[in-house]
Amino acid sequence: MNPNAPAPLPADAPWIVMKFGGTSVATLPRWQNIRELVASRRAEGARVLVVVSALTGITDALKQLCGEGDQGKRKAAAGAIAQRHYDLLAHMQLPLPATLGARLDELAALAAEGPARLGELAWSARVQAHGELMSSALGAAFLSESGLPTQWVDARDCLAAAALPNQNERTRLLSAMVEARPDPALNARLAAQGEVFITQGFIAREPTSDQGGGRTVLLGRGGSDTSASYFGALLKAARVEIWTDVAGMFTANPRQVPGARLLQKLDYEEAQEIASTGAKVLHPRCLSPLREPRVPLLVKDTNRPELEGTVIGPEVRDHAPSVKAISARKGITLVSMESVGMWQQVGFLADVFAHFKQHGLSVDLIGSAETNVTVSLDPTENLLDSDAIAALAGDLAKVCRVKVIAPCAAITLVGRGMRSMLHTLSSVLAEFDQLRVHLISQSSNNLNLTFVVDEDVVDELLPHLHELLIAAGALRTDDSVLFGPSWQALYGSGEALAQPSWWRDGERQRLLAIAAEATPRYIYHLPTVRAQARELKALAAVDRLHYAVKANTHPAILRAIAAEGFAFECVSPGELEAVSAAVPANAPLLFTPNFASREDFVRGLASRATITLDALHPIEHWGELFRGREIVLRVDLGRGLGHHEKVRTGGSGSKFGLPLEQLDAFLRHADAHGVTVRGLHAHLGSGVLDARHWGEVFNQLASLAERIGSIAFLNIGGGLGVPSHPGEAKLDIAALDKVLREVKAAYPHYQLWMEPGRYLVADAGVLLARVTQTKGKGSWRYLGVDTGMNSLIRPALYDAWHEIANLTRLDEPATGLFQVVGPICESGDVLGSDRRLPEPQEGDVILIAQAGAYGKVMSSPYNLRGETEEVVIDV
Amino acid sequence: MTTIHNPRLTQVFRFLHARYADGVAELAYAFDDGEAMVERIRFPHAPALPRERQAAFDAALKLLHLIAGVSYYKAGVPPKIEVADGSLDDATADLLDALYLHGLAEFAYRNGLDLRGRIAFPRHTPSPLGGEGRGEGATPPQAPSLGLPKRTLVPIGGGKDSLVAVEAIKSIGGDATAVWVGNSALIAACAERTGLPTLNIQRELAPALFELNQRGAWNGHIPVTAVNSAILAVAAILYGHDSIAFANERSASAATLEYDGQQVNHQWSKGYAFEQLLGDWLHTHVAADLDYCSLLRPYSELAITRAFAKLAPYFDAFSSCNRNFKLLGPKPADRWCGQCPKCHFVFLALAPFLPKPRLLAIFGRNLLDDEAQAAGFDALLEYQDHKPFECVGEGAEARAAMYALSQRPEWQEDALVERFRSEILPQLDAAQLALEPWLEPSAEHRVPARLQAALKAIGA
Repeated sequence: MNPNAPAPLPADAPWIVMKFGGTSVATLPRWQNIRELVASRRAEGARVLVVVSALTGITDALKQLCGEGDQGKRKAAAGAIAQRHYDLLAHMQLPLPATLGARLDELAALAAEGPARLGELAWSARVQAHGELMSSALGAAFLSESGLPTQWVDARDCLAAAALPNQNERTRLLSAMVEARPDPALNARLAAQGEVFITQGFIAREPTSDQGGGRTVLLGRGGSDTSASYFGALLKAARVEIWTDVAGMFTANPRQVPGARLLQKLDYEEAQEIASTGAKVLHPRCLSPLREPRVPLLVKDTNRPELEGTVIGPEVRDHAPSVKAISARKGITLVSMESVGMWQQVGFLADVFAHFKQHGLSVDLIGSAETNVTVSLDPTENLLDSDAIAALAGDLAKVCRVKVIAPCAAITLVGRGMRSMLHTLSSVLAEFDQLRVHLISQSSNNLNLTFVVDEDVVDELLPHLHELLIAAGALRTDDSVLFGPSWQALYGSGEALAQPSWWRDGERQRLLAIAAEATPRYIYHLPTVRAQARELKALAAVDRLHYAVKANTHPAILRAIAAEGFAFECVSPGELEAVSAAVPANAPLLFTPNFASREDFVRGLASRATITLDALHPIEHWGELFRGREIVLRVDLGRGLGHHEKVRTGGSGSKFGLPLEQLDAFLRHADAHGVTVRGLHAHLGSGVLDARHWGEVFNQLASLAERIGSIAFLNIGGGLGVPSHPGEAKLDIAALDKVLREVKAAYPHYQLWMEPGRYLVADAGVLLARVTQTKGKGSWRYLGVDTGMNSLIRPALYDAWHEIANLTRLDEPATGLFQVVGPICESGDVLGSDRRLPEPQEGDVILIAQAGAYGKVMSSPYNLRGETEEVVIDV
Repeated sequence: MTTIHNPRLTQVFRFLHARYADGVAELAYAFDDGEAMVERIRFPHAPALPRERQAAFDAALKLLHLIAGVSYYKAGVPPKIEVADGSLDDATADLLDALYLHGLAEFAYRNGLDLRGRIAFPRHTPSPLGGEGRGEGATPPQAPSLGLPKRTLVPIGGGKDSLVAVEAIKSIGGDATAVWVGNSALIAACAERTGLPTLNIQRELAPALFELNQRGAWNGHIPVTAVNSAILAVAAILYGHDSIAFANERSASAATLEYDGQQVNHQWSKGYAFEQLLGDWLHTHVAADLDYCSLLRPYSELAITRAFAKLAPYFDAFSSCNRNFKLLGPKPADRWCGQCPKCHFVFLALAPFLPKPRLLAIFGRNLLDDEAQAAGFDALLEYQDHKPFECVGEGAEARAAMYALSQRPEWQEDALVERFRSEILPQLDAAQLALEPWLEPSAEHRVPARLQAALKAIGA
């Protein structure tokens, strides 16, 4: 016996079931990894049962073999499959183990024989089962050889499929189910045989009956995970571990929401709901066998075993209620049925649903009113490629008015106790007010809340909603027991570390001194303005950068940005004057007003600015003003890119831009007045963090410009997002650079202009205020400061989130939860809600961060509290 | 040599020369005594030209030079046209006069120009010898048969029509090459999916044209199908194909509108008149066995969309949207803008033949349940408006498709279908709205005998 081997296990040692998928068993290094993991579980004092899938690609190869009519080709396919296993054996430097040899022989015989004797389906199930039979036999040999004596177990000896009503030969053989309950006899039988076992996922045996039975059956989709669960239940294991290529389940699909957080703890019902509404990491079927025996399931990343993973177990009540995940399912079709006939009519719905059954359509969500029932259908082949929906509508039209609404997407929030969280969702729900919401559904099990909306809004909406859920405190990412790191931090380019902020690190004492003179005051840090400007100047594809001065028109800031070589974008004659007074006369100006008067244009034309028009009226009625001029036209690219922002500036609901259907008319008027349209401009919204957005805008503008001829440049606007929440990823400038280079390469003949505003100045400014008093009201605590929405209206106007810090007590622990409010007589005068801050004293200096953009410029004299001073600091 | 400051004030448009070497055709033009504008057309992996095809090649290249000039001519539309290497025979001059007049009719209408009487390609003056001894009498010379290989060039456009043509030829086991001109990721993706050998010819417009545009050149629609046809005629001789099968349908021959007594047809060079002119010219001037035809000519748009509705493998690859996106994303909105007449028409014409959820998955949205699109669909139906300047079917065809949908329970509650039922339908004669007559082919076509089985397959 190996002297390092752990002491033998007692007969009642706990079981751990470990499941490994196809990529995990396909190479020698992966098997070495498995060996380490299994040995560590054995060292915990547990018996280990390993459940494996077939080597990657083998199941598909076996399916193909089954579809092959020619015996020679079947034999060749079986030979190729065998070779894959010989190759891996050679890598492992192992001789052919007898168990594997027997499987290969059997496969060769089945391939040669064909389906005739066993019957098509039974033969096919038997052939496909060989993927797992072979991989497990190979694994047993490898583990035993590497010092971990491992028993090979035929899953068909342990898992008997259940005989279910409505089964046909196909479902009986190819998508079987097992009723797995703890089986002490099996437990004892295996315990007597050894300590480490390996068996197959995906396969079971047919129940024996009068007609015989006992044939090999398959478990259908998600089969290997489900096998692991069955074994977990049979052995009443201490836990089941699903080893895969991600660390677990996330709060959203990471492909759609890179900021999605790892879910570290879920109960069975929540996990099942998340799996059913979109998450692919677990098949929803694999949780129910574990629920009754209360066996926990753990999802782990094979490549990163140190990560916590997701633990799924019985419901626990010691956490604050929280939304756990948000998901979207696309391709949903709604059928809306309207009739007064259904009102209090016995059997109306039964008749209606009978039609759905008759046409083979499965109903998912249901919403109903007294005279309307709307149901959703998932995207099945039957729905998409047959006349089922036409036939259904034809039948339904006889009893009600029917409308087929598609393509839709179902956005689902999952979390236990959803109804108790509704009050926290108001800002999230407000987002739906701009959308067509076709149906809302909430189940009595109180686990989910689903909205059905138009499919084309989802890609942009989902990341935004995820962010709003966190901001609203509905998805409690502050609870580190429930929520782990973001997907981006684990697998992406890494989470942006908390940006070193100038006010926290370098200039704190200086700020305290400035505040000691007077508050409230805005402080602007010029080195930060320059740093931001230089970051954007690195975008090689951009030919001209304009600072959108409406964000902050302080002369020192204008001068600093001019010194970096920027041009300037103004929206009013007043801004033109302020900029002209501050910057050198050779800095290019762009005048981009909206609903400007004739007089405004006269003043704009008298300046050196390039003029942007964004409506038909000026060129149609005041065309002579522009005669001989070169102008820019701002267009509204319409739906498809809008929808995602509260501050969106595209789409019919927005007052900006010329609608595309008026483009030809505009060009005719321009031509009639000798006006040359030299540039095209679109700006779709603010706070955008997805670099692809600007590529799409350029692409769309370029496809329009090609039809116009005179266009020399495309102005894709600004809207570069500045994240406000801690841990939120900042705009990836390298990704933006790449996107812009790509689109520029496709249309090299157009210059690319941008006009960032907030991006340059937001972080450079802070608002300093002083604590006046605190107030307790019930469980709420208010922290009062000496200015509010009169100085900074963004929180009240946009629900904007600004970081708030007690600069006097930056190093003290944040123990209290405060509503930070100003002195203005408005209940909306709240600078920040639910902020965790140190216990304050009257006179403490409170800093409101990211106040450099849309702060002072939007301030007002409301309540006559006087002007808020501005102080500029430099190195 | 001078710089052209205002192209609209030029006096002469000159065809300078056309050369070919090593797979590159060079076509040169000029206004007045301005600098030469040189267009290059690149034929990839061009084989050496067999000697017996040299004369045919030269004739095709000359025609390409003359036809491709339309892109440059239209920048100034000067009163005089000169051809450096001599005047043209009547057949050639007739073809070009017609092409420039009708192919630029929409351009002229949009720019408020009248081209009638302005376009006159130089012709041979009748010789005092009456053509004696020169073979240029009243009957033009008949070009010889060259024994071209029996295979077909099928231009791919990324839209449904050319894919229907491709599948028809594939269905009869015909030998074909999928060919396209220019850079388009969309077309490349569609061509790839046909599984046919592909040929991507590059056309580089003269950079000087771009400069003229910046200096206020006239701009607008040109008969691009004519240019592509001439490029393919050169390619057919170069690579060896006996036929060029376009996918221009019946309604392409219908005028978009009549203006000041002139018919304006957005797609004149896709119409039957041009097909006949060019087909005959190729037979007489290039090769007796080079056929130029449209495989879809006898069919209506609706007959074609019905055929396309069976070609599911193309559903997530094709687009007819005229926003011509150069970069493709995975979303339907990256291929269909949903706002242009082409999007409107293809949506409407496919709707009667596809399950509704499948159609909506192709477009990513339901254009007929969007009230903002009402004006666009009205234009297709020729309700309160003329037919839009796009390659779309006839108004009656659109009305037939809309009528069919208005009778379908799964469509009739959608905003624009409902509007059609309540507002437009009462003003129409339902007897004129049947879909079925549109599915019948007409007799008019020039499809050669070798490809007639493919023609029939489309209507099956």
